[in-house]
Amino acid sequence: MFLISVSAAHLLRLYERFQFLDKDNRGHLRPEDFEAVLELSENPIGDRIVEAFFKPGQETVDFPSFVRVLAHFRPTEKNRNRDKGQPDPANSRTRKLKFAFRLYDRDRDGKISRAELLQVLREMLGMQVTEEQLQSIAERAIQEADLDKDGAISFDEFRKVGPLELGSAFILLTVRHLNDEVSSLSYWRSG
Amino acid sequence: MLPRIAPFNRTGFARTVPELGLLLLAILVLLEGSVLPLGAASTPETNTHGEANRSGAVEGHSNHTKKAFPVLSFNYESVKLPFEISLWVLLAFLMKLGFHLVPRLSGIVPESCLLIVVGLLVGGLIRLAREEVPPVLNSKLFFYCLLPPIILDAGYFLPIRPFMENLGTILMFAVVGTLWNAFFVGGLLFAICLIPQTPVLNIGLLPCLLFGSIISAVDPVAVLAVFEEIHINELLHILVFGESLLNDAVTVVLYHLFEEFALVGSVTVLDGFLGIISFLIVALGGVLFGAIFGFLAAFTSRFTSHIRVIEPLFVFVYSYMAYLAAEMFHLSGIMALIACGAVMRPYVEANISHKSHTTIKYFLKMWSSVSETLIFIFLGVATVEGPHEWNWVFVTATVILCLVSRVIGVVGLTFVINKFRIVKLTTKDQFIIAYGGLRGAIAFSLGFLLDEHHFKMRNIFLTAIITVVFFTVFVQGMTIKPLVELLAVKKKQEAKRSINEEIHTQFLDHLLTGIEDICGHYGHHHWKDKLNRFNKKYVKGFLIVGERSKEPQLIAFYHKMEMKQAIQMVESGGGSKLASAMPSTVSMQNIQPKNQAAPLKPKERALPQLSKGREEEIRKILRTNLQRTRQRLHSYNRHTLVGDPEEEGIKDLILKKQMRIELDRKIKEMANHLTVPARTQDSPTMRRARLASDPQSFTVKPSADGVPVIQVDLASPQSPDSVNLFDETGQPAQNDDQGLMMKTKSSESDKRSEKDDLRDQQKLMRCLSDPGPAAEEDEDEPFLP
Repeated sequence: MFLISVSAAHLLRLYERFQFLDKDNRGHLRPEDFEAVLELSENPIGDRIVEAFFKPGQETVDFPSFVRVLAHFRPTEKNRNRDKGQPDPANSRTRKLKFAFRLYDRDRDGKISRAELLQVLREMLGMQVTEEQLQSIAERAIQEADLDKDGAISFDEFRKVGPLELGSAFILLTVRHLNDEVSSLSYWRSG
Repeated sequence: MLPRIAPFNRTGFARTVPELGLLLLAILVLLEGSVLPLGAASTPETNTHGEANRSGAVEGHSNHTKKAFPVLSFNYESVKLPFEISLWVLLAFLMKLGFHLVPRLSGIVPESCLLIVVGLLVGGLIRLAREEVPPVLNSKLFFYCLLPPIILDAGYFLPIRPFMENLGTILMFAVVGTLWNAFFVGGLLFAICLIPQTPVLNIGLLPCLLFGSIISAVDPVAVLAVFEEIHINELLHILVFGESLLNDAVTVVLYHLFEEFALVGSVTVLDGFLGIISFLIVALGGVLFGAIFGFLAAFTSRFTSHIRVIEPLFVFVYSYMAYLAAEMFHLSGIMALIACGAVMRPYVEANISHKSHTTIKYFLKMWSSVSETLIFIFLGVATVEGPHEWNWVFVTATVILCLVSRVIGVVGLTFVINKFRIVKLTTKDQFIIAYGGLRGAIAFSLGFLLDEHHFKMRNIFLTAIITVVFFTVFVQGMTIKPLVELLAVKKKQEAKRSINEEIHTQFLDHLLTGIEDICGHYGHHHWKDKLNRFNKKYVKGFLIVGERSKEPQLIAFYHKMEMKQAIQMVESGGGSKLASAMPSTVSMQNIQPKNQAAPLKPKERALPQLSKGREEEIRKILRTNLQRTRQRLHSYNRHTLVGDPEEEGIKDLILKKQMRIELDRKIKEMANHLTVPARTQDSPTMRRARLASDPQSFTVKPSADGVPVIQVDLASPQSPDSVNLFDETGQPAQNDDQGLMMKTKSSESDKRSEKDDLRDQQKLMRCLSDPGPAAEEDEDEPFLP
């Protein structure tokens, strides 16, 4: 597993949020509780995000798992000293990348297949692009990234894609108020 | 301007329409210019006619002069006022139409500029026809008729969450920023007036400060008009717009303060102190008035279940009353209006019917649109009217000082504010905030209100105000869009972003939004939670009808979700598992066999030579569509009616259904051309569902030999995909790549299942042609069940 270092105050806040989402006071969350978050239904990949909380086969999420997933989104410490002994903390760059990779790779076989990529594209681009164009885009994307020519994108290939920008974007993949007192939205993507 | 005889294709048609549009515009302007003087010219005639009649009657009944009974008479006088008003409104409408017919023009020049030009033209025409231009932009008309709809529209649809999150910043800009502007401009102008070289400009300190306070306020109308055309993100929009709304309180106080003192001639410390208290009263009082009327409106709407038709009226009238009441006490009417709209909205929407909701939405948009148009036109007309007194020094000094003070103010304030903000305001943000500080009609009307006798320099002021307004609206309005794009491009330097990067960045965007939504929005969460709890326990029960008070938004949401599910269920032909009942998909691969050649080169190594054009095309398609999705989700545009997510979701669903029907029809056509009918792709679950209902519909898909097949790892049918409610497009992905099913040569195995195919197709057609549950709700049903 990985380290999660969340301060007590944040833990408390997350717990309050957990309780808020858990409308029936069951002590764990189910997919319907996530669906109750209204904005999530508008999100093209909302269902994938919800899925990411649930381990395969499980129908419920308890609080530690909840925190574990959200801990990925804390800001990465730039100058962490890399002990070979210690496992990577949750918010390390690799972990974040792994998390995002898992969102693409729904069947958890370690590769993003063309079908999965197509699915993602369809969700994001929806009605605006024809099927044929989607195919072309997916095709092209795989061609660009696929280094070992197996027709799918593995995690290492994923990591190498656009290292600078994607990497920095991943570093910024944080929900800032998990780190700070005052809420905000990460506006790195604005403009 | 003859319409060009163009070939009958789409572009040709569009080219003739703008021509006609311009023609229409020209005609209208002429019409407007000619009717009004005509009307004015005819009044003396009818007047004398009327008088002659009356005097004739007074003389006695026996003294009737005998003249022929007037078969056709012209009496302009009695309809003068409504007629002129209608004519102006009509002009506004037609201008708006006209601009949309000429898209090139409105792309370069913001609409507000065009409207001012139109106003100038009309004013000029009227002036040519007769000596005087009617004083259309009198302050009463402006403040009581034209301004309220715009503000109400803005307040009712104000996005509360970003507004509240940035309230501190907004207040800083509004209060401190406006004060800074006022004193800076006023003070320096006074200093300039003191310089002996300047031509005779005997303006005291207090009138200068008064002028400063008038000119310093950012105008909401102008900001809205210009910002809606540049799609900046929500944060900046809400900052500038919020500032323009909240600075009304400051403007009101300063205006009255300096107006009073300019007459007296001196200011003491006590007066300053009273001014501060006055500010607090004005601001908070305005909000209080608004909130009171908002609650009254909400309470009234609780009882309207039997008279649905007049529901929208409550919203409008109560808001207007709030505005007038606040103005009565010299409080800030704008803040009252905003508070009223924002407060009443959640409760009223829970109580009123769906149709009333739509009515309110459309009426507000309509009125605010017309008001805005009229304001700009009148601004143009009033410019022509004058009275003007041009003073080079004063005017140029004003313009320059306004710009400088705005920039300094924004930079300085941001420096301080950034210490308290998590999301810092970047330089680019600061530039946009500074550059977006437009002045508009409010400043002009306030100047107009000045009393001629007490302020001899009124004309100089008015001229300067108009110049500043014109400058900001024209120069800044026109250049802000290219500048924004220039800055944005400079920042990103995304010359050659690979397709993967584009996709992944957008993906991350959505991911981040989703996680943030799950985490909820804290910050000030103590009092916010307390407010919410208080709201839920007491207020909602009081103001919302019956059982709807329990999470009405959630109930509405689930209601729409259920409708969505119902539509899905019908589309899938009553599939057994509700959540996974996906309508069977027909892949477009079947329809375009000839295009398979190009993308089908995955086996080739080294990035296949897609032609440059094609690659660019792909990249362009991807980028524009991702941006469109991002824009739709992130940018804030007042004029697009705020769509309900549920409504849009259902529209999407219906659109998809229509697409499927289209595809199916096309397949049928194709089937007629080939010997083998196209095979409809059934999802595994679909097939299982059909199997459950009709055992004979199960068809075996023969293995495809000798047909180009794309090797793809399929998600197993048992994957979590099939359980998911939202994942309507999940299933097609599994089936698309099961190889081409359009075979060029017929095989025996197909013949036996031909009949089944046809039956399948029929079943499909039946499923898809079912219109589903009526999307229309009942006539008088409340918005929530």
